[in-house]
Amino acid sequence: MAKVVSIKRTLWDALYLPSIIKGLGITLRHFFVNTFTSREIETLRYGEWDLPDYKDNPAKPEGWRGKKKTRDLPDRHRGLHRLMKRPDGSARCTACMMCATVCPANCIHIEAGEREDATSRDIEKYPATFVIDELVCVVCGLCVEACPCDALRMDSQQMMKPVAHRDDAVQQKDQLMSRGATSIAVDGGAGADWRNEYARLGDARQIYRPDRSFSDDPIGYRIRNTDSK
Amino acid sequence: MTMKAQPSKAQPSETQPELVEIAVDGETFSVPKGKNLLEALLDVGEDVSYFCYHPRLSIVAKCRQCLVGLGDGHKLVPACQMTVQEGMKVRSKTEQVREARQAILEFTLLNHPLDCVICDKAGECTLQRQYMDWDGEASLVNHDKVSKPKKVDLGPDIVLDAERCILCDRCVRFMAEVAKAPQLLFAKRGDHTEVSCAPGEQLDHPYALNVADICPVGALTDKSFRFQSRVWDLWSTRTVCQGCAAGCDMELHHKDGDVYRQVPPKRWDLNLNWMCNDGRRTYRQLLEKERVTHPSLGGERTDPDTATTHIAEALQGLIGAEGSPIGVVLGADVSNEDAYAGARIAQVLGARLYLGDRPDDGKGDDILRLNDPNPNRAGVRAMANKDLLNTKALAEALNDGALKALLVVGDGLDLPAPAQRKLNALDLVVLSTPFSSALIKKASVVLPAAAWTEIDGTCTNAAGEVKRMRPAFEPPSHARPHWDWLVRLGVALDADLGFLDAEGAFSEMSANIETFAGASWGDTIPTQRLRFSGRRG
Ligand code: SF4
Ligand code: SF4
Ligand code: SF4
Ligand code: SF4
Ligand code: FES
Repeated sequence: MAKVVSIKRTLWDALYLPSIIKGLGITLRHFFVNTFTSREIETLRYGEWDLPDYKDNPAKPEGWRGKKKTRDLPDRHRGLHRLMKRPDGSARCTACMMCATVCPANCIHIEAGEREDATSRDIEKYPATFVIDELVCVVCGLCVEACPCDALRMDSQQMMKPVAHRDDAVQQKDQLMSRGATSIAVDGGAGADWRNEYARLGDARQIYRPDRSFSDDPIGYRIRNTDSK
Repeated sequence: MTMKAQPSKAQPSETQPELVEIAVDGETFSVPKGKNLLEALLDVGEDVSYFCYHPRLSIVAKCRQCLVGLGDGHKLVPACQMTVQEGMKVRSKTEQVREARQAILEFTLLNHPLDCVICDKAGECTLQRQYMDWDGEASLVNHDKVSKPKKVDLGPDIVLDAERCILCDRCVRFMAEVAKAPQLLFAKRGDHTEVSCAPGEQLDHPYALNVADICPVGALTDKSFRFQSRVWDLWSTRTVCQGCAAGCDMELHHKDGDVYRQVPPKRWDLNLNWMCNDGRRTYRQLLEKERVTHPSLGGERTDPDTATTHIAEALQGLIGAEGSPIGVVLGADVSNEDAYAGARIAQVLGARLYLGDRPDDGKGDDILRLNDPNPNRAGVRAMANKDLLNTKALAEALNDGALKALLVVGDGLDLPAPAQRKLNALDLVVLSTPFSSALIKKASVVLPAAAWTEIDGTCTNAAGEVKRMRPAFEPPSHARPHWDWLVRLGVALDADLGFLDAEGAFSEMSANIETFAGASWGDTIPTQRLRFSGRRG
């Protein structure tokens, strides 16, 4: 429960006008100071996707008067989606539909296809079409969390640019792949020797252990207690 | 919906089996003596994992997943191999049993590829479910898995992923015991064992698709469903198969207006848990046949009211005329309610009633399929038993020129070509049908009707069971059920048929027609999403 505090209003407060004039004064002061002094004013230009470029190229762009601000987007910034690639350049995506299933905005549309040339080492299912409507997307990142294949990421460090037509915001598979890179994740996991492999890579992942006591969970899945080891 | 054991056909329900008391983890239950212990445990709500047991197949106790403790004995036994005896003491929730089931699962998963990501069974896979319920551990084995062929073409309908197979033997038993065509067998030994077709054979039995249902994992899958959709994206509507007069209960699985597959309901007591391949493919006619979506008058599109008014005006002079020159054909593919409305209109018009059916196709067998391909012959027959004339009589009447107007309800009429030509001489031919057919060129008025996936109503199978059909979709454009058109026609003719919806038609029908006395409209089973549907197989 929040604590209830009562503030006594004085006559000065109740008049309102003095506070408004005071506030207006601050605004006016900034207006005149900024207009009539030649100070360099720090600002962030709209469209932060430009910024990494400025860092690499410290020369000020033409017409740029302000002081350059080199704030990178954080690593985990959720930008435009991208589809990661296998070493052979094909999409890592297996069309498992986890992302489309979890997406709260229902903006991922995938049609699965079958690779007729698949050898026993290949994954035979692939996305024949993979479409994300970036205007419908709520940029929650759940699709990235859901993907079991490191196939879909939002770490492109690019933001959605304004489009003239809504259709232009519907990203097709080739567009998504154009931002893609080869993932370091191994297709099919680290293999039978995954424990040693994880130890070698210093992977801090914990082995997921459910609490296997009996319970009357109506959905039928035991409630997992990750603390019990 | 979890799979619940139902009393198998072997124990007819008339003879009350003797009830005995058994103790399950100290709790006492009354269960029928001699019943399979696994089924009895499932019936009383005990959570027992199992793979290989199936009530319609012989017992092999191959998977060892259903282990329970009996009495004070240390050794665990497979419940599926035991029968209920008086005073049995079953241990199912002890640490020993849990550990055993977990260990068996770990063993089953030793060489399992775990490609749930691309597996069509994922979401309704028994192995996935049991793993989540009973194991949940990472594998302890540090060896590479045995790899087996991932895509074996077993026949026209089924593809095998040999790695996913857990060797439960259900498919092999199904082919040998139910299909009585042992096309499948196990080849090789030990952890290299694979399901395979006998040399020179392929899996092409007309019931082969059932193995895709009963396979507890994604080893055997339906080719036409392969990679089409994840199961949890589908919606399920309980309705009745319209493939033949057997009228099997089935689930229609669909998404965005398209049918993806037809499968038997997960009930061990309904149509023996099976469906024939042809029945599962009846949805294809929706794709292959051209739909009629708008009413038309002399080949030109028109609106519903103009169409019915036109029919009423054209019929006005013929009602009650000498020798009853109006014929009403009830297709053997329409629902009971449609047929009842058709019979009522025939009454109003003083018309002769004909049954429009297709001849036997000889595809019947001794499992489910009947020779009669007409899904509702029994129901339509019941409308006018003796007075219902057959297609031959209709052809004769057309040859003799005895008819001046014909109302065809449904897509079931199979008229020989010479008789079809005679239709040109008629004053009025009305066709109410969901699909375009050869007859449509002869029809002066065409009324678009709802197809079987869009019908709320009942049909009667050859055994006389009245079964409820439920709609999965809305009819397209102006299409509506036959009875709806007939009620509208009744209004245009100033005749009140007395009902305004399918349920109204049903209750009037069951009050007026003896065959339907006591028949029930059936439960409301809403279309459900398969997202949390449990397992299939
Ligand atoms: S970020 Fe969220 S809304 Fe956008 S595609 Fe992914 S899951 Fe859907
Ligand atoms: S979750 Fe990943 S692998 Fe699965 S469909 Fe989406 S992008 Fe592809
Ligand atoms: S059979 Fe079941 S556990 Fe095996 S890959 Fe398929 S869904 Fe996963
Ligand atoms: S293919 Fe399926 S049904 Fe047949 S033995 Fe293997 S797991 Fe069992
Ligand atoms: S179900 Fe009992 S051993 Fe397989």
